[in-house]
Amino acid sequence: MNSMQATADSSARPALMRHFLGLMGKTLFIALVLAFFVIPVLWLVFAPFDAHPSLTIKAPQFTFHNFEVLFQTPGAIASLGNSIILALGTMILVLVLGALASYALSRVKIPGRDILLYTLLLLSSIITGTAAMVPTFLLMVKLGLIDSQLGVILILGSGIMPTVIFILKDFMDSIPKSYEESARIYGAKPLRILWDVGVPLARPGLATIAVWAVVQVWGNFLVPYILLQTPSRTPAAVVIYTFYTEGGQPNLALISAFSLLFSIPVIAMYFFVNTRYGFRFYGGIKS
Amino acid sequence: MASIVTTSLVKEYPGGVRGVNGLSLTVNDGEFFALLGPSGCGKTTLLRTIAGLEKTTSGRINIGDRDVTDLEPGKRKIAMVFQDYALFPHMSVADNISYPLKIQKMRKTDRLEEAEKVGDGLSLQGLMERRPGQLSGGQQQRVALGRAIASRPEVFLFDEPLSNLDARLRLEARTFLKKLQIDLGITTVFVTHDQAEALALADRIAIMKAGTLQQLGSPREVFQRPANIFVASFVGSTPMNLLPATVQDGRVLVSGTSLPLPASAEGLVAEGQSVTWGARPEYLHMSTTETADAFLGGVTISENLGASVLLSISVGESNVRVVVGEDQEPSMGTSVWVKVEPRRSLLFDSDGDRIGK
Repeated sequence: MNSMQATADSSARPALMRHFLGLMGKTLFIALVLAFFVIPVLWLVFAPFDAHPSLTIKAPQFTFHNFEVLFQTPGAIASLGNSIILALGTMILVLVLGALASYALSRVKIPGRDILLYTLLLLSSIITGTAAMVPTFLLMVKLGLIDSQLGVILILGSGIMPTVIFILKDFMDSIPKSYEESARIYGAKPLRILWDVGVPLARPGLATIAVWAVVQVWGNFLVPYILLQTPSRTPAAVVIYTFYTEGGQPNLALISAFSLLFSIPVIAMYFFVNTRYGFRFYGGIKS
Repeated sequence: MASIVTTSLVKEYPGGVRGVNGLSLTVNDGEFFALLGPSGCGKTTLLRTIAGLEKTTSGRINIGDRDVTDLEPGKRKIAMVFQDYALFPHMSVADNISYPLKIQKMRKTDRLEEAEKVGDGLSLQGLMERRPGQLSGGQQQRVALGRAIASRPEVFLFDEPLSNLDARLRLEARTFLKKLQIDLGITTVFVTHDQAEALALADRIAIMKAGTLQQLGSPREVFQRPANIFVASFVGSTPMNLLPATVQDGRVLVSGTSLPLPASAEGLVAEGQSVTWGARPEYLHMSTTETADAFLGGVTISENLGASVLLSISVGESNVRVVVGEDQEPSMGTSVWVKVEPRRSLLFDSDGDRIGK
């Protein structure tokens, strides 16, 4: 009896120890990962209100002065408006064309459809990528769309279009065919069916695409930087690049304040879309 | 109000599979018409071709005096109820019912009023604002019917209208559907794989196999006088007795028992011809005393059917099934006589077709 208890005790102690150490390790790991993501966010929250912002995080000497300067900087606030124009323009473009294209590709059987989709997806990043910038620039010159926001919208839109079609096609595929056939029986034309049945049922997908498209455009620097010249047309992502002190150092006061303003619309939109359209699907198909 | 006429209708799928193979049939004005067959027999394809959801490969389809072969589904003045009902999940019951009217560009107030009227007729009061997902299966079916009625079609097409309901509700819905069809008087074609459903509902039944018509007739005709062995074994809740037989001395020898020749086959068979003898278990009579022109055998299996009992009786090498009343049930192993009425038995030739009218 005694010897058995002794063995049980001696084996239980290291097991408990191992459990404790494991818990410690896990907690530490999670803390590190959390810090990695939280620290930049903390900087973004504190630095704009600091009289002397630096790249470290510290309790700010509270001031609104940075924002006052920012509002007086020519073109800074207008650039946020430009970003909104580009983002919404691209969003509408890809939503309309993406819904039409994905619906068609989901319903019409053409040989090699999937290969076509995968190829497009693979090549899509090239359009907005560095490698194709010269041809893109030349194309826009020929089309007379240099220094035009429409040109930027078209380029950004075509860059994300394959991914949009790819994602939306999945949503369209999941809509039962009998819904459309039922609408067809009563005389609805394809566009009508897409509007009455396809769009409402693919709404979570369309909402996802809308958010994603805005985020893609919002943060894009290269395309508007190359295609736009007039300062009054440039978006925020490009304008932020011009915030330097006379000494050639990054003007952290302006950059941090502007970054905060720059990130608010995207965060707000995310919450809006998520609460309004979140991922829900209730079906009327009984099977 | 219109009849449907198909003329040598062919629907061929890519790859050469024929869903419908040269079908000519007429559905009369106001008729409740069933397309019956096992799965894969082409009945749904035929329905979808009539609806215009499948393109016709060759042949014509007429609805009333219009040739609709090349018309879009929306121009055929038909309404279809799908097996899954296909109610739009994001629309209320009222919007679902009035959707056909929306397509016809009717004003919103008018079409909601119309939906209300149709809904009342289908006992959907109080449910008009709900979504399809909040309805029971039976209610969903009535909404689907309502949508079909609201479109004021000349023809109703139902694809397996009862198969998504549970067994108890199915019987209720069946009666409801039959009454509705009689009240509306609209030509209705429905597809089913359930022979009992077809017998109960239809004015006439077309039985299909592999894209071709096997028999077309009233429920009574297909039940009593199946055109071939396929129909004989497919229709009826208890399978028909089908036994190999030989014609001998103006009688027929079945499993070692000599029976009188079926009335319909008289004068149409030759001595020594190999045939298949058939009789429905419901049309056989059991007796415990010796009877002439009857099978003699022992009871091997007895299956309770409620008010009646299905007995399997071993006669020679074969089994003969007979339905008897619950009071008549003999104990297992009892020897009994099973008598066949000549006018209730049939002969089929070696191709499986019925001999005689």
